[in-house]
Amino acid sequence: MKSTTKRTYVLIILVIAFFFGLGFFTYSLAAHGDEWVTHRANKHIFKNGGISVAGTIYDRNGTVLAESEDGVRYYNSDSSVRKATFHAVGDLSGYIATGVHTVYRANLLGYNIVNGIYPVLAGNKDSDITLTLDASVCKAAYEAMNGKKGTVLVYNYKTGEIICMVSAPTYDPQNVPSDVKTNTEKYEGVYLNRALSGVFTPGSTFKTVTAIAAIENIPDIYERSFTCTGKYKTGNGAGDGEVICNGVHGKVNFERAFNVSCNCVFAQLAVELGPNVLTRTVRKLGFSQGVPVGKITTVRSSFDVSDATNLDMGWAGIGQYTTLVNPMQMLLLMGTIANGGTGINPYLVESSSELNMQKTSESTAISLSPETAKEIGDLLRSNVKNYYSDKKFPDLQMCGKTGSAQVIGDNSHAWFVGYSQREDMPYAVVVCLENGGMGYNDAIPVANKTMQAALRTK
Amino acid sequence: MAKEKMRYSDRVRKKHSHVGKTFILIALTAFQWVSFLPVFFSDKGGGILTAALLCVYVSFEWMYVVFMHFAIKKVNFELEFIAFFFSGIGMCLIAGEYGTKGMLKQMIMVVAGVIAYDVLLWFLKDVKRVMAVRKYVGFFALLFFGAAFVYIRFVAKTYINGAYNWIYIGGISLQPSEIVKIAFIFVGAASLDKLLTAKNIYLYILFSMGCIGILFLMKDFGTALIYFFTFIVVAFMRSGDLRSIIFICAGALIGAVLIFTFLPHVAARFETYRHVWDDPFGRGYQQISVLICAASGGLRGLGVGNGKLREVYADVTDLVFGLICEELGLIIAFAIVIAFAFICVYAVRCARSAPSSFYSISACAAAAMILFQTCLNIFGITDLLPLTGVTLPFISQGGSSMISCWALFAFIKAADIRAYPKIYKS
Repeated sequence: MKSTTKRTYVLIILVIAFFFGLGFFTYSLAAHGDEWVTHRANKHIFKNGGISVAGTIYDRNGTVLAESEDGVRYYNSDSSVRKATFHAVGDLSGYIATGVHTVYRANLLGYNIVNGIYPVLAGNKDSDITLTLDASVCKAAYEAMNGKKGTVLVYNYKTGEIICMVSAPTYDPQNVPSDVKTNTEKYEGVYLNRALSGVFTPGSTFKTVTAIAAIENIPDIYERSFTCTGKYKTGNGAGDGEVICNGVHGKVNFERAFNVSCNCVFAQLAVELGPNVLTRTVRKLGFSQGVPVGKITTVRSSFDVSDATNLDMGWAGIGQYTTLVNPMQMLLLMGTIANGGTGINPYLVESSSELNMQKTSESTAISLSPETAKEIGDLLRSNVKNYYSDKKFPDLQMCGKTGSAQVIGDNSHAWFVGYSQREDMPYAVVVCLENGGMGYNDAIPVANKTMQAALRTK
Repeated sequence: MAKEKMRYSDRVRKKHSHVGKTFILIALTAFQWVSFLPVFFSDKGGGILTAALLCVYVSFEWMYVVFMHFAIKKVNFELEFIAFFFSGIGMCLIAGEYGTKGMLKQMIMVVAGVIAYDVLLWFLKDVKRVMAVRKYVGFFALLFFGAAFVYIRFVAKTYINGAYNWIYIGGISLQPSEIVKIAFIFVGAASLDKLLTAKNIYLYILFSMGCIGILFLMKDFGTALIYFFTFIVVAFMRSGDLRSIIFICAGALIGAVLIFTFLPHVAARFETYRHVWDDPFGRGYQQISVLICAASGGLRGLGVGNGKLREVYADVTDLVFGLICEELGLIIAFAIVIAFAFICVYAVRCARSAPSSFYSISACAAAAMILFQTCLNIFGITDLLPLTGVTLPFISQGGSSMISCWALFAFIKAADIRAYPKIYKS
């Protein structure tokens, strides 16, 4: 009898096992609950594979970018705004992996373990998200791109707020065109936000990086004089060859060479600096990491000259060779220069009830000394002032660098990277038009129209 | 010994005042009205009729406790309160989908369960009587089980959820294995209580293997596992021989491996296990729906009738715990699991002071059966264990399981020395 009563401990073991299981379940719920509720099998939220019930997404001025009403999801009322903000806001089925609808889905439900998804079902403010975007600037950028593929980015380099992030090709999510899946030419990579997930040959915009390396490593760089004959021969060895220039610039100094974007000079500097120094500079500037944008990290840029010959180094120094950069990375570089060497990470989500959101400015790991920042900033200012002309950017006090990156078998990518020096509009801008033509002719007007729109919001 | 117990009995009598019971009843009533409130206003809930039915149910609870307290002189009602609490939640969730009619069906089963509980409790009062009938109970239970299987398999041919385990009589579903559960514990505890002779043991093992064998033929492996676990608990309680138990378990494991090798649909469940998110709209659908809905509910729940788990098959039967999390919230779900654990702790407490080892063993076996089934259900649907398709005791919709759960409670209650007040009174 007594031994029987002692053996009741098997039940206690069962109870302990039961609680152990419950503990594990509770842990899973706490750790993965947000993934569970945001799964497309959640019928509270999804209808026909797309989000139907979620919080409202606002731009910085309170303009509605997307909202739900009676179980139907609506975007902004203006079709240009819809197209311009489509990649930032995201589609409802999660095809755009970096869209707010996908990345911040748990926030859009106001989800936490205490309330579940009650906030979104009750339609209260906890499920709303405010973005840093300005719908009017995005719209202006989209319209300025004039149907070209690529991306336009503007951000506040003092705070990190992304004012404009447009990626094309795009489409109107409210009236999804029937040929999205069939017209692969028109909608090539339509679900890719080129600003975050795209990499492009940087062309001459990369001369900014080469120039930074030169400033930091060649003491007499400003005293030097170069002669451009239209082509530059790297030497007479097996790995040598000629780099062709975009013109015949004659005798130029460093500043003038940067203004006119002389390939000869920058190829020569790259060869002189060598692969180790240039790679170190590229790493210091954060190109090997990708840019954190809230919960997203952009795709990494690639720069690899480990097997480069002299000729390859020449091409690498002017942004060709195998180098590919992410537009957000270029934006951050411009912002770091503009902000005196202190880079501020860009962010997209201004506020959400989930308070773990990044709201304050956050410095990057980029190391650029204030002195170098000042010098390269002066060179970028000189580009606009002395070469592109301030008339191209009325009232903006712009600094910048164009690029026309050559692509095999297609038109070049038209680039403009730069920033405004105006105290009241500390915005950096990147325009990258994929196979869109020339930096000066095609990218500058887009950059100007976008920045003018940003100026109007002041 | 008897004197000591009498004093103990008097002591607990004082401890269990009217105030405590009245308070619990009021709290239970309040909870049931609050949880039912959204049901009355929902489309399917049945409105005023359901409210009237809830009145009947609440009155039944009150009258039962009052009657038992004053007429039968029962002092404590822990198990009854838990069973009423569980049954009420089950009815609430069923009413949210099947309206007044569904609730009425379930309520009839609760009343039948209460009757079964009190009849069995009365019967268990006399251990001699129990010993006298155990062989007949065993024999007829096995006969009934075998006959039921033959009927289902070869006459009715009702193959539901991958098992031949359902009989339909006049719109009421009946699982023979649920009824046999009562006999299984009855025979197990009684056979092993006295006369630990070889013949007795062999007969018991024969009976157990017979029951589990029929469950295998029925292809109801979840229930077979519950039976097997209960068998192990009974065998251990009696013999205390850990080595034999391990030996039996190892043998069973080999058997189980063989089964899974030969039965593809069982093997498929094991393939899905811990990989439910790999096939969210196929094999893992039930489990991921439970996880999604459980997380959606939060602590407070979305209100009865608002759950999307209702669109998933077996929502108020196997998946009912997910529906509780979603509609009633994690706090209520937590209260429920605490109550399930309490049943076991209560059984252990009673077993340690029970007047006969029959009571000790039967109480532990019944509690183990209930908690083990709870584990299989809750952890199966949340993918902590492979999905076995067993119901949640008391709460899942179902007639025979409700009766058997109440009857199992009788075994636990019988081990409580306060269960038979008149014996100890003088």
